[in-house]
Parts: sequence; structure tokens; C-alpha cells
Amino acid sequence: MLFVVRMAARELRASWRRLLFFFICVAIGVGAIVALRSVIQSVRLGLMREARAMIAADVIVQTNRPWTAESREAVDKRLAAAPVLERTESVETTTMVRAEKGANVARMVELRAVETGFPFYGTLGLQSGRAYRHSVIENHGALVGPELLVQLGVAVGDRIVISGRPFEIRDVITQEPGRRVGAFTFGSRVIIDLKDLRETGLLTVGSRASNQILLRVRDDGVVPLTRRLREDLRDQFINARSYKALEDDIGEDLARAENYLSLVGFVIVVLGGIGVWSVTRVFVKQKIRSVAILKCVGATTRQVLATYVVQVVLLGLAGGLLGVALAQVGMMSIPASVAAALGGMTYGLTWSAVLQGVSVGLLVSLLFALVPLLEVRRIKPLLLLRGGESLPPPGAAARPRAGIKKTVVDFFRGLDWLQVGAAFLVTLGLVGVASWQAASLKAGAIVSIGFAVVAVVLYAASWVVVRAVMPLASTPWFPMRHAVLSLRRPGNQTRVILLAVGLGSFFVLGVRALQENLISEFSVEMDERGADMFLVDVQQDQVEGVRTLVRERQDKGAPEPRLVPTLRARVTGVRGRDVNLDSYADVRGRGSLAREYVITYRSNLERNEEITGGKFWDADTSSTGDNEVSIEQSIHERFDINVGDVMRFDVIGRTIEARVTSVRRVEWEDSRSGGFMFVFKPIALANAPHSFIGFVKGPSDPTARARFQHELVTRYPNVTAIDGREIIARIQAVVENVVRAVSIVGGVALFSGVLILIGAVAMTKFQRVYEAAILRTLGASTRTLGMMLALEYCALGLLAGLIGAAGAFGLSWAVTKHLFEIPWRPAPGLLAIGTLLTMVLVGTIGVLSSADVLRRKPLSTLRAE
Amino acid sequence: MIELHGVSKTVPSGSGTLTILHPLDLTIQGGCVAAITGPSGSGKSTLLGLIAGLDSPSEGQIVIDGADITALGEDALARLRGTRIGFVFQFFHLLPSLTALENVLVPLEIAGGRGAARRADSLLAEVGLSERRHHYPSQLSGGEQQRVAIARALANDPPILLADEPTGNLDTATGHQVIELLLGINKTRKTTLILVTHDPELAAVADVTIALRDGRIIRNTTREAASIT
Repeated sequence: MLFVVRMAARELRASWRRLLFFFICVAIGVGAIVALRSVIQSVRLGLMREARAMIAADVIVQTNRPWTAESREAVDKRLAAAPVLERTESVETTTMVRAEKGANVARMVELRAVETGFPFYGTLGLQSGRAYRHSVIENHGALVGPELLVQLGVAVGDRIVISGRPFEIRDVITQEPGRRVGAFTFGSRVIIDLKDLRETGLLTVGSRASNQILLRVRDDGVVPLTRRLREDLRDQFINARSYKALEDDIGEDLARAENYLSLVGFVIVVLGGIGVWSVTRVFVKQKIRSVAILKCVGATTRQVLATYVVQVVLLGLAGGLLGVALAQVGMMSIPASVAAALGGMTYGLTWSAVLQGVSVGLLVSLLFALVPLLEVRRIKPLLLLRGGESLPPPGAAARPRAGIKKTVVDFFRGLDWLQVGAAFLVTLGLVGVASWQAASLKAGAIVSIGFAVVAVVLYAASWVVVRAVMPLASTPWFPMRHAVLSLRRPGNQTRVILLAVGLGSFFVLGVRALQENLISEFSVEMDERGADMFLVDVQQDQVEGVRTLVRERQDKGAPEPRLVPTLRARVTGVRGRDVNLDSYADVRGRGSLAREYVITYRSNLERNEEITGGKFWDADTSSTGDNEVSIEQSIHERFDINVGDVMRFDVIGRTIEARVTSVRRVEWEDSRSGGFMFVFKPIALANAPHSFIGFVKGPSDPTARARFQHELVTRYPNVTAIDGREIIARIQAVVENVVRAVSIVGGVALFSGVLILIGAVAMTKFQRVYEAAILRTLGASTRTLGMMLALEYCALGLLAGLIGAAGAFGLSWAVTKHLFEIPWRPAPGLLAIGTLLTMVLVGTIGVLSSADVLRRKPLSTLRAE
Repeated sequence: MIELHGVSKTVPSGSGTLTILHPLDLTIQGGCVAAITGPSGSGKSTLLGLIAGLDSPSEGQIVIDGADITALGEDALARLRGTRIGFVFQFFHLLPSLTALENVLVPLEIAGGRGAARRADSLLAEVGLSERRHHYPSQLSGGEQQRVAIARALANDPPILLADEPTGNLDTATGHQVIELLLGINKTRKTTLILVTHDPELAAVADVTIALRDGRIIRNTTREAASIT
């Protein structure tokens, strides 16, 4: 053992430079795993620590409907029986806000109205530095997000108008429990006193508000109280959640995110592993003579193998530690803005991430080095007498046979079964490591199988292309002929380079192609004729006024504003052919059928709708006769509800029965006309209290747009205008952030690919240097040799780029079709440019890292041989 | 004593087999100097390789000090070479990544045991290379490299020393020094020395000369300590 360790150390002293790529390959993968895991673990720890602050209470009881005497009593009864220490109420809603004086604009905000005692946990940070007390907002005071000051052109002390009532800006919110900077919101935050909100008339029937009761509860009472409230009050649209459940949710979600992101790291480690495999393969070839000498002076195969395994372990460890250092550097360079967006946490490497990363690096190094290292067994000391420097093929003694059957027999005889067994073990090992990283055997297996498939495809592609270009080997142009021959030379790195660079370019191009698809989808959604502004909570008596105002302010030729009545309802029973649900409890047994639906009524079909069963009511008779409802295809399919069945609904407290008379299919992709699961015949609902949603094409000039919103809010304070353009800009910003993050990962993958490329080139250089020396002796110029190299690497790059582009093509198709469910647009320009760039990149790097081949004097090379 | 009984060696070649050594019998007494001579391709190195256990015969038996080595596996043969047989090559075959001292240390460390460093130092002193012990092979001349190789071959004090054209890659003067060294070792340590050589001068000082041609022994000369059956 001592010999093995000493020998490994001595060998490393001499060959660490040649194996540099080995540990860089490992380091990048380990760095990716450690950094990704550490960031997410930091976020998780931080969020879990803040779980109480995030809901500002121990338990929060919440309903989207106004509290009724009945529902309040039901809640109070249960709270009275629990160890509740303190309670306070809060309402959250979206509404429009304008400045009393100042800029002529109005903005949608996320309004929160609170009582004394809020928040029980966490701090509401104020710009002035004073501590928040309820008295700050009492008597028509407001706290606002910093961006609202800019948007409305107001300052602390000025007044803003909410639902027609003036509120004085008393301070600016710098930190709010549970609300993160950079997270997606519909607008800036405004906090006012709940008492004042009740006076505004914003909380009318059908308005969208979340009514909350925040509770401080003795620790042992949190879980039972939450469970009890949930079970007892579900039928009344009341939900309860505790900080503990939030903790669990955060924990689970982030653990899942951590595991899946670690799989991305694992993919990079495997790319590194491919580098390790290629380096080890060439390394063993270079070490044939040394191994023979060791065997000649008495070392057993096991000792020699152990020597190299120890080297791999040391290098894998060194690579892992370098990876940890890289991760640390990476974490330190997370921009403050990103850190703030992720919750302003402090990030640091976590021990578990470091341990996992280093072990994965070590395991992958060992697994990938094992198969090529086993070649050591076949090295015979006799070659020292024979002067041979190549390995005898396994089963070399077997004579070649004729005929396919015999060829197959020879093929199997020629296999080194120990290596085949080792390869099998390595595969199992990789599945194991991947499953460990994903914390799921299925995910691990899928990733490993995916990798195997990609590897096989790339292998097959390289086989096909190498043969396809072979006719060029007989071209009279010397550099071309030799470049083509090089792709097939014994010990070539064609497959390794294709695999590494192909995967890297697949990552980068795939993500870019997806991004292009998503962005063009949003721009289509925002086409010139479509609605780009949505008016929410328009009351029945405001419909005509709003319609007139919109018409007056719209651009010429803009489509008519559409105001659609909406109500909220839930299914409480079904009497039907295939399904009978007597009570809401029965409906709940059918999963999502029990959820609250937004419904509408009208006398005609929309252009994105099509009847697939039954008959839609006539426009003329829609105000007379029985109640009828038209259901969407998916409701029909998922819940076996058919034409002729009778459904019972609870529409804001009123029970309405309606017969299903038609099944509609909604083209959801064309959602500008709106999409509803249940459409009622007007007779059923026209007299129920309800509000309207407006689909409006707003003025295209930004100033006119702002003025229009201001005017709308001044006249109809309860109406909220959601500016589609703004929302889409925000969504695009979120998408861009995601794309940036994925691109960084793709970039790291591509970088690994490039490193493997450099490594592969460096490892085969000794062979090239020798060939170049001979060619030079025979009269080849530097230019010819350079041309040969350039052609060879450009061909490799082109192929790798094509493979990556083909993968990206497939990925963007699959994800847009099946995950995002948006129309797929191939991005031929992007993929073509990507392929060309890959070619140029590989060509340049190939030639640059072979510069030595071109510079060396032939004599010194030949003498050394 | 080294005994070869009916030893032959054939290798597959194209569609048939090629005979490198025809069946031969040979006995070499312990402590003598034996020279194997013959033209290129006559089977000299193959014969030496078989005796060293670097290759196994196609047929026949090789017995060293009463033990049949043909029955041994690869690792057992490696252990045999490590302890009982030293080998010197025409092209030295030092490990390029190790210093002179470390090259000599390798077989000592493989065999285990104490005092390896002291023993390696004294062996290097014996071949006159104490001053160069921390040099790498690339920093040594051909003669020096060969002397390191001899020191390495002697590391575990093997009773048998095999040398494949040990002077073949050296100039005449350096070659002389190496021959002196090898013969000196044979005398002082009573090591059996078997040499493959083209050098008639070297063959002349051997106790036994075995001449090969086309894989057959065509002549042997016994001075006193060797006999051929």
C-alpha cells in the first residue's frame, strides 16, 4: 500500500500538468453543484426562518368573499376554543390610485388595509427610520412603495386618491414581511387603515378582495387549530394556513428545486466525466511503457491499477476542492441586485452542499476513469523487449474469421468482459449518483437514460458523418485529404469532442430557441388589434359610462370595448346520466370540480368557441324559459357531465339550478375573447348582483394611456385598470431573468465542452506533433499544416453545432407544445448562427491549442522519438 | 539453476502461426555467466523474455531453482521478478517521471521491507552514481542511465540477472564500463548472469555461449560451469 501511495504521488508530480484538464473538468461540475445547492439551501434556510414573518402571524384565516355574520360566527366559535393570544384583521385587494395633485396618471396598486397589531411577526420597514405603529396610518394615512412616488410624481406628505377618498402619504415602505423586492406583483404596495378602507366603498359585492384574520396562537395550538378550521370551514370558502405549513411548503418546494438544479450540476459533472474519460484514455496510452517497466520490476497488476486509481482519487479530490473554491468565488460575485431579488439573503457555502459536490466529483472521476484504467491489465512487460507501444487488442490471439456469424462471434470473443462489466457498473453508478442528486430514482434514471440516448445519438452521428465525409479523403487537395483522415485516425477524439461540444451547444441553443418562442408568443398576444387593457370590477350601473369613455379616448379604428359580466360560483351538485353528486361534499370528492369558478352569461358564442355537443340557446329566446348552462369540453371529459344533466351552483350565496344544454370547446390560446368553463343563459343570472370585466384596446400613446387611466379612476374609483402592456413587460422581465439564469448554466456547460475540447486536443497533440514533423520533413509548409488543422476542427465544430441545433430544435418544439402549450416557431436564423458560431469556436480553439504542432522544429521531435 | 524442457514459442500470424522458438532444452547452472548470441530474429530476446517470465511458452516447462514458473499467473510472475530476477534492457527503460534514486527504490518498495532508501543509496554508490541520485533520466547520459538500470535490477539482490543487449545502445568505452560492472557483480554476488548480445568480446568472457539461428540452438560452448543437455 505504501508503494502504491508513494508511486501515485511521484507520478502525479510529473504528470499533473497533463492531467490539469482532468481536475478542471471535475472542478467545474463540482462548482456548479456546490454553488446551486448552497444558494438554494441559503434561500430555504432564510425563508424558513422568516416563515412566520411572511404571513405576519402564526395562523391566517382567509376568504375571498366578504365576511358574513354566519361565517364570522363559525370562525369565532372555533377561535374561542383555541389558545388564541391575539387577533387582527386585514384586507388585500388591487385597486387604482391617483395623485390628488401632480402627474395626470393613475396606477394599479396592491392595497393592504390593516388594523392595530399588524404585523405580529416581521418588521414593516419605513424610509424615515421610525418604527411602524398603527398610529402612523390612522385617520386617512397611507404607506406606499417607493416606486409609486416616482410613478405618480408625489412625495411624502402629498395626498393620493383611493376610490375617491384622499389619503396622506405618511411614509415609504422599505421592507414588508412576506413581500420580496423583484418578485412579480400587479403593482406597488399601499398600506392603509382597515377602518378607512371600509369607508371607501371599495369592498362592494363581487369585488376581488382577500379578507384575512391574522392570529397569534400559543405554539401547541397552531397545528390543531389550522386543521380544525380547514376541515370545518372549507364549504364556506374559508381557508386557514399556518406558518408551519408554509415552512413545510417552502421546504418541500425548495428541496425539489434544489434537487432538480443539482441535476443540472450533475449534467455538467458528467460532461466533466467525459473529459476525465478522454484524458484517462490518452494518459494510459502514454503510460504503457511505465506500466510495463513497473510490471517488469515486480509490480502486480493490482498494485499498478491501485497506483493509478489513487492518482484519480487525488485528482478528483483536488478538482472537487477547486470546484468548491470556484463556487465560493461564484457566490461572492452574485450581484447585490440579484441577491435582493432572491430575498436579500446572505449566501454562503453550506457544508452539506460542499460534501455532496466533492463526493459527486470524486465518484464521477472514479467511475469515468475506471474503464480506461482497466486497460492497464492488458499491458505486458514483454513489450519492453519488443519495443511496441500499443496495447494488444483483447482476444488478440483469435484469428479473424469470414462470414457475419463468425464476425459476431469474434466480436464477442474480442470483448474484454471485465471492462464490459465495469462499464455496466459505471452506468449503474451514474444512475445511482443522479438519483441521489435528484432525490428520486425515476428522475435519476431519466437523466441517465437521456444522457445515454444523447451519447448514443452523438456516437451514431459521428459514425455517420465520419463515413459521409470519407469520400473527401480521396480529394486531390492535400490539407482536406489529411483533415478528413485525421477524423478517423486511431485514437481520435472525434466522438469525445462531438459529445462535449454538441451537448454544450444544445444547452445554449435550446434555451435561446425557447426564449425566442416565448417572447414572440407575448408579442403576438399584444398584437395591434387585440385588447391590451383589462378593466376589473366595473359595476352594472357603470358599464355604459365606461364604454363611452373608452370609445372617446381610444385610437381611431380601435376595436369596440367589450364588457363581460362575471360572477363567482361553485358547483354544489350534479344530477346526471353518469354522475350524481348530491351535496357539495360529494362534489369535493371530484377534485377540482369543487373549486370556485368565474362564470358569465351571454346570448351568443364567442369567436374562439365551438359547440361540440348539444345546442347553444338562441339569442332571441335567451331572456326567457328555463335556466340553461353551457359547459366547456374539459368539464365534460373530466367529470362525465353530459348534455341533459342538471347542475346546481352556489352563486354568491344564491342557489341556481341549470340544465346543461351544450358542450363548448374554447380555443384557450386565443384568450382575448376570454374563456369561461361555464356560460349561462342570461335569464339565469342577469338579475343577480354582479360586476363586469372589460377587454379594451387602450390608447397607444403612453401619455394618452396614462391620462385615460387617470380619467377612468377619477370617474369610477372602484374600477381597476390592468395595463396588459405593463404586465407583459413585467412577465418579460421575469422570463429574461429565468433565461439569463439558464443561459449561465448553459454557458457553464458550453465552457466545460470547450475545456474538454482543449483537453482532447492537448492529449492527442503528441501524436500530431510527430505526424507534423514527418509531414514537414516530406515538404509540408506551416500553411498546409495549419489549413489541415483548421479544416479538421471546423468540420468537428460544424457537426457539433448541427447536433446541438437539432437538439435545440427538438427541445423547443417539445417544451412549447407540451409544457407551455403555445404555438411552436422554429428559430432557423438563431440555430444557423449558433451552428456557425460553434464551428468558428471549435475551429479557433482547435487551431490555437495546436499551435505547438505548427511551431515545433521537426528534427527535435523526430530525435526525441 | 535454470532448466528449460521442450520450450517453444509460436505466435499467430496472418492465417497461420509463426514459430519463433522451436522446442529446446537448456540448463544453466547457478552463478555462471551465459551469453545468448545470434542474428536479428533468431529468438534471443524471446528466450530471455521466457526465462524472465515476461512471456509464457507455447509448450514446455521452465524451472527456476526447482520451481515450475510456467504454471504461475501474471501476478505471481511479477513477484518472482521482483525478488529473484533482475532485468537490464538495451533501452534502459527507466521511469522518466522518477529520479535515479526513486527508480532504484521502486522494486524495493514493491517488495516491502525496511531500509529501502539506504539500500538504494548504497546501490547507486556501487554503480558510481551517488552524486547523480536526484537527477531525472533525461538529465543522465546513456551510460549513466544503464548503470541506474543495473542498480535497479540489483535492488532486491536477485540470484538471477538478465540483460538484453546491455551495451547495444552505448558507445564502446561506456559499453566496456557496463560489462565490467556486470561481470563484477557476477563475481562478488555469485549472481547468475544471462546476457543477450551481439558483442563477440562480451560473448567471449561468458562461461556458456548459446548461439541461436531461426529459433534453434545451433551451437553452445561450455567453459566450465555450464552444461547443455
